[in-house]
Amino acid sequence: MTFLRRKEKPSFEGGGLILFADVPGAMGAEKILKGVGYGIKLVAPPPALRKGCDLALGINLAEQPGIERALRQKNAEYLGITPLGGEAQELLEIVKVVDFGDWVMVRAGNMKLAFDKRSGIIANTSGGGCPDIPYLHAELVGKKLSEAPRPKDIGFTLCALMLERALEECLTIWQGGET
Amino acid sequence: MMLIAGTVPQDLPLTTGEVKASGNAMLVNGSQIPCAQGTGALVKAALAVTDYLKLEPPKVILAGDTGRGEGSRAIYEYLIQNISHLAPNVLVLHYCLPDMALMRKLCQAVEDCGKKPIMVADAASMYVAKAAGLASRFDIFTPDATEMAFLADPDAIHPAYINKHLFDTDISQTPELVSAAYQHKSAAKILLVKGAIDYVVKEGKIVATISEPDVPELEAIGGTGDTVAGLVSAFAYAGLELHEAAIIAAKSNRMAGKFAQVTPATKIGQVIEQFSLVFKKYLCSWSGVCYMGEGENDD
Repeated sequence: MTFLRRKEKPSFEGGGLILFADVPGAMGAEKILKGVGYGIKLVAPPPALRKGCDLALGINLAEQPGIERALRQKNAEYLGITPLGGEAQELLEIVKVVDFGDWVMVRAGNMKLAFDKRSGIIANTSGGGCPDIPYLHAELVGKKLSEAPRPKDIGFTLCALMLERALEECLTIWQGGET
Repeated sequence: MMLIAGTVPQDLPLTTGEVKASGNAMLVNGSQIPCAQGTGALVKAALAVTDYLKLEPPKVILAGDTGRGEGSRAIYEYLIQNISHLAPNVLVLHYCLPDMALMRKLCQAVEDCGKKPIMVADAASMYVAKAAGLASRFDIFTPDATEMAFLADPDAIHPAYINKHLFDTDISQTPELVSAAYQHKSAAKILLVKGAIDYVVKEGKIVATISEPDVPELEAIGGTGDTVAGLVSAFAYAGLELHEAAIIAAKSNRMAGKFAQVTPATKIGQVIEQFSLVFKKYLCSWSGVCYMGEGENDD
């Protein structure tokens, strides 16, 4: 007797979930995100992560900032976005500051941003690995901290979000003169 | 063949071909690719090695992508379909939107090849290899200190979500992070951990540390991690043992930074310009790989 091998179901492995208060909220968000081209999937959240309804959206966690922006633009409500890891995980909030004399560099997660203390001009960005990072590098370097486009507005990925954190800290240092 | 795959921040359809130097930029199949942070810097550094050693230049698979992932997915799909007949000796995966399902398919396609290439991953290709539990399929990763903490954190899917206590660790605690990463099968066979001290790790054991010349400004310069990845890949392609390739890549990058007298405002192209001078002066004595061309000096 021969058995036909069952075709493997297409899997969705994005590492992140959007949690909702109710089912219509989840289905509405699915429509919005599919409409702008995100790869997502309606799933049941694991019991430990259930906060509202029994329906969640599986997302590629690396795309969290772009997804949040798309939902905000359509006033879609959701409870939160969470990684599908072991223990409860939170986005890194802490930053580190390195003084290079005429320049200051701020590290936020895997991203770094350095600016000129005298002019407030962004001297460099480094680190990261998502495809919006070289684009943001080109857009930010050479511009004043206060006039540069914000990674949270033109970036799409968690690397961009970390660069935004670094930029915010640099702005605080620059405006407060804490160098 | 050395094959490099990654996205570039410009409007570019999927483009394949051999890379050629073109002033400060590069040419691939008629398209000009700037030498800037990201895959451009990696390719240009690899090209500096192959040019110096008179090896076949790298072939590349590039696509434009500014964060939405279209170019990344095109690269993955192309590689999955074509890797078996491309049959590279070295496969370098760089800036791509992390996609665990596509990386899993690609690794399976590589496993199905008759001859498995040396697999190198940096940037988000390294992130997704770790997140998908595929790290041990790779031969070389080139993390910085934060990325090392990410590899050591068994739960993190991206460095933005690492445990804050791991982010607080400094480079001197790399040995503990290395140990944790190998314990969780989240590391490639060789790690080149970039920092104030560079650590070269072979299957869990630290085989070398490099701390000279000390050029801390390199960390601030966008693309210096990319050049390290390009160098180690090209030296591996040249036939060096992988850990030796990592050691020489780390030394070369530092020395190029010193030659360029870098500041945090230096552009990566200014560092890359120095590689041929660094190789000319040091490569023979560091590696035994001696190109006996004009002006060779190994003192």
